[in-house]
Amino acid sequence: MSGKSAGFAVLLTIAALLGGMLLLPSSPTPAQTPAQPPMQTPSQPLAPTPELAAAGYVGAETCKTCHPDQHDMFASTKMGRLFLKHPRNAREALGCENCHGPGKEHVEKGGGKGVGGLITFAKNDKTPVDKRNEVCLTCHTKGARLFWKGSAHEARDVACTNCHRVMSDQSPKAQLAKFNEIETCGTCHLQKKAAAIGRSSHMPLREGKMTCTSCHNPHGTTTPALLREIGENETCYRCHAEKRGPFLWIHSPVPESCSNCHDPHGSNHEQMLKVAKPRLCQQCHVLGPHGAFPDGRGIVTALRFEMGRACVNCHANIHGSNHPAGKFFTR
Amino acid sequence: MRLAPATGALFAIVAALLTVQPARAQYTLGGMRIDGEIEAGVRGFLTDEPTPKELAKFNEYRDVRAGPFLEHLQLRFFNKDESYVSDIYGTKWGYQDQEYSLSTGRVGLWQFQFDWNQIPHTLFTNGRTVLHEGGRGIWILPGISGLSDFNGQATSHLVNETVRWDTGRLFFKLTPSPGLDLTAEYTRTRREGNKPFSMSFGTGSGTNFLELLQPVDSTVHDFRLGATIAQDTWQLQFGYILSVYDADQDRVRFDNPCFQAPVGGSATFGCVAGESRGAANPIPARGQSALAPDNMAHIFNLSGGINLPLRTRVTGNFSYGLTFQNQQFLPMTINTIGNINTNPNIQLPQNSLNGNVQTILGNLQVTSRPFALPLTLMGKYRIYDYEDRSDVIRFRARVLDDRPLGTAAAPLPDFTVTTAHRESFTRQDANLDGRYQIAQPVATTLGFGWERWTRGPDREVLVTDEYFAKAALDVTPADWISARLTYVPSFKRDATPYNRGIISGTTPTTQLFDARKFDEAERNRQRIDLMVQMTPVEGVSINPSAGWRHDDYIHSAFGLNWETAWSAGMDVGWNPTKRLTLSLGYVHEVVNRDLRSRGASPNLSSNINADWLSNMADVYDTFYGGIKVAVIPGKLDWNTNFNYAMSFGTIETRNPSATLPGATLAATALAARMPAFDDQFVRLDTGLKYYISKSWAATLFYAYESFSQEDWRTANWLPWNPILATTNGFVWLGNDLKPYHAHILGATLTYRFK
Repeated sequence: MSGKSAGFAVLLTIAALLGGMLLLPSSPTPAQTPAQPPMQTPSQPLAPTPELAAAGYVGAETCKTCHPDQHDMFASTKMGRLFLKHPRNAREALGCENCHGPGKEHVEKGGGKGVGGLITFAKNDKTPVDKRNEVCLTCHTKGARLFWKGSAHEARDVACTNCHRVMSDQSPKAQLAKFNEIETCGTCHLQKKAAAIGRSSHMPLREGKMTCTSCHNPHGTTTPALLREIGENETCYRCHAEKRGPFLWIHSPVPESCSNCHDPHGSNHEQMLKVAKPRLCQQCHVLGPHGAFPDGRGIVTALRFEMGRACVNCHANIHGSNHPAGKFFTR
Repeated sequence: MRLAPATGALFAIVAALLTVQPARAQYTLGGMRIDGEIEAGVRGFLTDEPTPKELAKFNEYRDVRAGPFLEHLQLRFFNKDESYVSDIYGTKWGYQDQEYSLSTGRVGLWQFQFDWNQIPHTLFTNGRTVLHEGGRGIWILPGISGLSDFNGQATSHLVNETVRWDTGRLFFKLTPSPGLDLTAEYTRTRREGNKPFSMSFGTGSGTNFLELLQPVDSTVHDFRLGATIAQDTWQLQFGYILSVYDADQDRVRFDNPCFQAPVGGSATFGCVAGESRGAANPIPARGQSALAPDNMAHIFNLSGGINLPLRTRVTGNFSYGLTFQNQQFLPMTINTIGNINTNPNIQLPQNSLNGNVQTILGNLQVTSRPFALPLTLMGKYRIYDYEDRSDVIRFRARVLDDRPLGTAAAPLPDFTVTTAHRESFTRQDANLDGRYQIAQPVATTLGFGWERWTRGPDREVLVTDEYFAKAALDVTPADWISARLTYVPSFKRDATPYNRGIISGTTPTTQLFDARKFDEAERNRQRIDLMVQMTPVEGVSINPSAGWRHDDYIHSAFGLNWETAWSAGMDVGWNPTKRLTLSLGYVHEVVNRDLRSRGASPNLSSNINADWLSNMADVYDTFYGGIKVAVIPGKLDWNTNFNYAMSFGTIETRNPSATLPGATLAATALAARMPAFDDQFVRLDTGLKYYISKSWAATLFYAYESFSQEDWRTANWLPWNPILATTNGFVWLGNDLKPYHAHILGATLTYRFK
């Protein structure tokens, strides 16, 4: 069976699996929330009902008596406004305990760090990372988090709270752990942070016009490098759609991968190229007669192959040409 | 300076609010409460502002000028119980890089958002030419005395090399129930401006070219629909994307400067005989090039995930894409010399490409913790198929660069039959990983991966396979330290022979037989990454990281031979008291590449004495840091941040043989060291913020920024350079990025009502 046929066989399998998913039994949800009380649509946080109290919930007002600063800080965030003022269901109405767990034991034992088995989400929290993340994923399963399980960050035990601050607004959007995405992602990805703030040829990240998540979804995707779109080039085409083609005359490495020639995180060479021209082109093209010059200063007129835009002085439509005479991308 | 009317109106609204009611926590307006914050101020340059020539880098993606500015505005409108909320956000209103945002909705139920973002992109500011734009993209040459007119301040003029991106986005989300999201999004990006573009005309390859501008007047429409159903144990997501690229111009036309040279060429004018008119030289009066064609893409996407027994999760994704492009072809040539345009051989076989590309993406991932052991298993398979179904068009003849062969009296096209082949490919990836928690502080991951590229017959290698191994160690010996070490070797092999390359001593050849293109070449790769995170005491974080990668193109006698990249860095944060926060970081990166090639004159030679080797090295150093001090807690804060980045690039070239063969070949094969590339960027921001009251704050700030770059290919490079000999027809714009220093001083006032 050819590679392509095998691939399509896998696609059919995927389709069958997706279709059959709904018929398969599922594993129970993590035991984080209690048996649901009779359904209601509360418009404000619930005081503990007998059922909730029996399950160990004390209510957000009880939390507030000892943690007023945290309560008020949380209440000013988007999530806080939802939980504490406009819960849509019984789960959200649990307020603080929706995430931290039932607080009865913590209260009865007089409070304190590590008392009562609550999930603190602090760095030294003994709760395993996957258990902490399950709390967040109980609600945040849609959209960007669909492929979290098995993603690069999940596989490396990155906790949601490594990147997000739930209790307060550190950033204008997305409740990040630091002021902006470069700082948040740069906590671990030092080299990418350095490229974003320092490379002379760069995309407008340090000017605030783009962010890491303009191209990446850190919660997991099906594309390598956690890119948002279905492929690397499709990510680039979202803004640079003029490169999509298809062109009459194709420059082979272009539709396969933009990063054959470009470094999207920045470079010290023009147009974020990985290597200065003409060497960039000479990595592949060992051509006669004019492509093979190592250094045009040997023949003065050959400087045209290096000065200014080098090879692109003539081969201007280097990403592909739609001109009948554009075989060599000069038209 | 003039402010945009919107900014003026905004200030008027805020001023009205301030005058109508005394400063306090919130305002009311028609039953809605308002809180927010506005920070605005004025800035100036302590020394001269960057000159217009220096602005290319200073204002590359922004618009910083002396005068008043809006740092940010945030207004939040909400009803009493905050069930309905609207946010207005804005920054830099009235400037080229202004942003607006309006968001409104009912918390947890629906949301509507409108964003507007302007991004100026200044490429260069010192390009000049003598041509004038007669129509958009049509450049007309006035009468000139010679190519030296391109250098003259009186005879040439500066050109605009900026493009501004204006992006407007509408977004709507409806959450009828917590488990269902419906979204619709439309983004329109309009780009207007110019960027450098070149065209060649000469009788030999690479002779007589002109660098000018192409118009960038285009719109990208991006329309997306999505629906997500999420239940406790399964999720489904549907998506549709329509992306349309629509350009206002499909061509650019330049007059050929050498067409005005005296017949037979002239050293005084600056064009050789071969680049000028004459009985033997049917050079074109002008050239016409195609710009990127309009295109449209549709992408349909279905994704899902389900939790299964044995703590297993399966996720899958299927996408189907269609891309169309059917722009009318330009004629083979704009040249009307002789009967060239009536020659039947250059008539186009069809009027457009009938471009059609189909992409299929399939992805399946299984993650499982099936046993009572602390063992996580993960398997992934991904296939991406790109199939170009566009027409394969065969041209019986061609006109190269609008210059036909033959003579001016009897011009002929080039009767080389050329076929525009289509190139399709498939990429498959598979991975299997197992992660085992050996003991509480130690976990290890072992894995295996495979990647296959299958390409069409017009590429050199039909099938390549790359095999990966993976070993990772995660160690958390104490609460305050965790480290991860990863080692990934991989081996790429050509599953089918490399099928290009012939060498002939008599005719020009395409490629040396032993040359390999790196994307298809066999390669051994080694990769190691280390990341450590330490919080040894409360308030201190130390995060060192390092990486090393080596690619050895084992059978690439010519082309890229090897590449090594390594980096090391450290980020330190210290928060000794609530009043003081310090941060410092440094990253050092080095990338080294080696390639081998061979001189040619005019044909590729089998003589190894014509070989040359080149090593390209780039070194980057980045320092950054900051300090935040609450000088008087709650009253006076001092913040300072700095960045320093420098890079140094070299191209060392040498001939491995001491004896270069033959004078002519030696001239083309002679290697020499190229001058280095060098750039530096410094930015320092410092500011004092004084809280006048709960609602008011004043900030005094100073910023220093400087940039310098040495690029020998453009440094002080004139549009026409006699140094290249007085008989050449190469004309550039003379673009060059100038260094700058800027000292900015400013003050802002913040009013906060929350």
